[in-house]
Amino acid sequence: MIRNALAEAALTVAVVIAVVALVLVPLALTQPDPMGVVTTFLFGPFRNLRYLGNIVELATPSMFCGLAVALILRAGMFNLGVEGAFFLGGLGTVAAALLLPLPAPLLAPAALLVGAVVGSSVCVVPGVLRARYGASELVSSLMLNFAALFIGLYVLNVLLRDPAAGAMVSFKIPADAKLPKLIEGNRIHLGTLLALLACGLGAVYLFRTAGGFESRIVGANPNFAGHLGLAVRNIGLRAQVIGGLIAALGGGIEMLGLYQRFSWQALPGNGWTGVTVAILARDHPALVIPAALFLGWMQVGGDLVARNFDVPNEAVGLMQALLLVTVTAAALTRNPKLLRAFGARTGASA
Amino acid sequence: MSDRPLIRFEQVSKTYPNGTVALSDVGFAVEAGTIHAICGENGAGKSTLMKILSGLEAPTSGGLAIDGLPVRIDNPRAAAALGIGMVHQHFSLIGGLSVTENILLGQEPRHGPFVDRAKARARVLDLASRYSLDVDPDATLSTLSVAAQQKVEILKALSRDTRILILDEPTAVLSPPETEELFRRLVALREQGLTILFISHKLKEVRELAQRVTTMRAGRVSGDAAMSDVSDDAIARLVMGEATTSTIVRPEPQSGTPRIAVCGLTLRARDANDRLDAIHLDIRPGEILGIAGVDGSGQRGLVKVLAGSRRPDAGTISWDGEPVVGERTGALRRRGLAHLPADRFRDGGSRRLTLTENALAGAHRGYRFGPLLRPRAMVERTRAIIDTFGVRCPGPLAPLGALSGGNAQKIIAAREFGTNPRFLIADQPTRGIDVAAANFIQDQIVALARSGCAVLLLSADLDELLRLSTRVSVLYAGRLVATFPNSPDLTPARLGPYMLGLEVAA
Repeated sequence: MIRNALAEAALTVAVVIAVVALVLVPLALTQPDPMGVVTTFLFGPFRNLRYLGNIVELATPSMFCGLAVALILRAGMFNLGVEGAFFLGGLGTVAAALLLPLPAPLLAPAALLVGAVVGSSVCVVPGVLRARYGASELVSSLMLNFAALFIGLYVLNVLLRDPAAGAMVSFKIPADAKLPKLIEGNRIHLGTLLALLACGLGAVYLFRTAGGFESRIVGANPNFAGHLGLAVRNIGLRAQVIGGLIAALGGGIEMLGLYQRFSWQALPGNGWTGVTVAILARDHPALVIPAALFLGWMQVGGDLVARNFDVPNEAVGLMQALLLVTVTAAALTRNPKLLRAFGARTGASA
Repeated sequence: MSDRPLIRFEQVSKTYPNGTVALSDVGFAVEAGTIHAICGENGAGKSTLMKILSGLEAPTSGGLAIDGLPVRIDNPRAAAALGIGMVHQHFSLIGGLSVTENILLGQEPRHGPFVDRAKARARVLDLASRYSLDVDPDATLSTLSVAAQQKVEILKALSRDTRILILDEPTAVLSPPETEELFRRLVALREQGLTILFISHKLKEVRELAQRVTTMRAGRVSGDAAMSDVSDDAIARLVMGEATTSTIVRPEPQSGTPRIAVCGLTLRARDANDRLDAIHLDIRPGEILGIAGVDGSGQRGLVKVLAGSRRPDAGTISWDGEPVVGERTGALRRRGLAHLPADRFRDGGSRRLTLTENALAGAHRGYRFGPLLRPRAMVERTRAIIDTFGVRCPGPLAPLGALSGGNAQKIIAAREFGTNPRFLIADQPTRGIDVAAANFIQDQIVALARSGCAVLLLSADLDELLRLSTRVSVLYAGRLVATFPNSPDLTPARLGPYMLGLEVAA
């Protein structure tokens, strides 16, 4: 079995490499220095500590969102409210940090808690609609993201907007609420450690607790869960509540770690990245970490290429899209012939 | 018999790649302009034979002749070209399309690149009036009743100059008046010169409609006669086979008071397999109550209601005198319900989860240390199960999907039997698994009964029922029509007439 799992992982990696090459090589050939483009993209991000820091900094919110999506997908749900939850979690956290009269050591945790609860509503409402009425959580969460965005912008404009700032941004986040920086010279903050911890705890929850096991049973075969007498709807809802809380917490941590003011004017896109991360990680909380770092590396590499050559960094978006399509294509990554080529033994039908 | 029958099956055999022999040397003839019935139990090979005739499957050897000429029917299109149309038991229709679109799907009249809707509609109306099957050509299919949908399915089968119409258990989804209506249509179609192959479990229907009957048993033709030459009892014997002489196990009840008492249980449903009509039954501790009945007689509904996944429309269920109607599966399991489901991979487990996870799901909360599960203890327990049940597998962490049906069933049985249940529902416990595994699971069921568990055994395998059961009840059209204490005198031939709806006992 381990052999087969390794073959699957190897095949996924091979697909990823092929996709990166497929986008990168033609783009490089349009430039006078094709090798430069390729090496900048592949190795540029490792050239100095600042770029490495950028990778980690980009990967942190992706880990929270990827973990949230992974836990939701494992329970057989497809809730895209993580995007809105991340946004609203950030806003709720900033609002709480500005409005709560708390002393320094309590302010950040309290603000994050408020943000997590407020933000998670974007996942919870579709979850309840699904559990109660059987409404597709995919559709309702997709719609609700935009409701969350505009409600959030309204609150920002009416309640939190700093009239002296010249743009629609909040008052400055109080220094007491900021998360401490970990390393001098770049912007990595405590939130990164929290993200790693969350992924670890997520793996423990999913594979080592009764609740996580039950959610995996529901995700693997809801008929089987019903046959065992499990409360299928509640378990599905629980996964969406947990996912919403994690994504919203990620939004709050992003704000308190990196931002001076709440300044998002649109959905930040971290939730969508989280979907890509979770799918690359095959819904495994621990694999969310490398998947998030990989996407962070790709983003930094793309930015470096865009800055130094005449290549738009939308190329990275193209790679992400292609990755999503190819990695989810069961015909490709579950193909028995290809799996055998990567060392899997036959006979293990899925 | 004339020299040139319309259809002649010639030594048709079919062996599936996994070694299952579905048909061996099937040969008989169908006269033009008759209704020809084919009778047999589940797995007798009727459906496979019809799939061969309609081009869905290819025979391994042998062949067939139409109008005396040997033909090869490689696909449904070839069958249609020969004038063969099939009405499937589960309709092959699309709910969101209109009646016209459904009937002419794949053969739409065209006007340049576009479908000529006016012509299509006219063709359907013409077809409907020719066979006097009135349908609304513009209705959306999903808004129609099942009987009306069946009319559409029949028209679809007739839409390509059809001479031979195959109906696979067409009455399974119909109410009695709808069945009568269908029969009048079928007789009218025959009078117009159509040849009809009619597959049914129900002898009354066969008697009413058919001129000739072919019975099948275990992939072979067991009889072929004109209806006027054969009695109902003779057909039942040909379908069920002669009595087998296997030793009866028959565990004795350990108490006079029933563990499970069911009274007046009624479930209204569209699908005959879910329908229940005032079921009364008692199961005492230590007793195995066998339920015999042709497939689709209400077994699924009975299991759903007793396992807590459907609420009955009327009637009571009590466990040791306590009413439990309305309790869901979870609550019943806490009372001591165990359930070996008929479809092991759909309901009984998950192919993607490991053997350990499948074997201990439900009992997993007993393997906790604080908030965490103890994976090592779980794997160890599974290893013990693999040893005692003799499961052939790569190891406790292999996915269930890697196992053969029999070995997967052992894992599922170990989970269900291991909870020390007070009431076991065993639904087709040995269907499709090898003899050794089947014997083992049967022994386990008997051992469980001997330890005081009440067992409800549903099986399409009469030999199994007659070997294990303390009593046997026959389910027909949602009703328990007879109950017999098990004894060597109780034979498939005696049960047959009840199963086929010819006789009803008090």
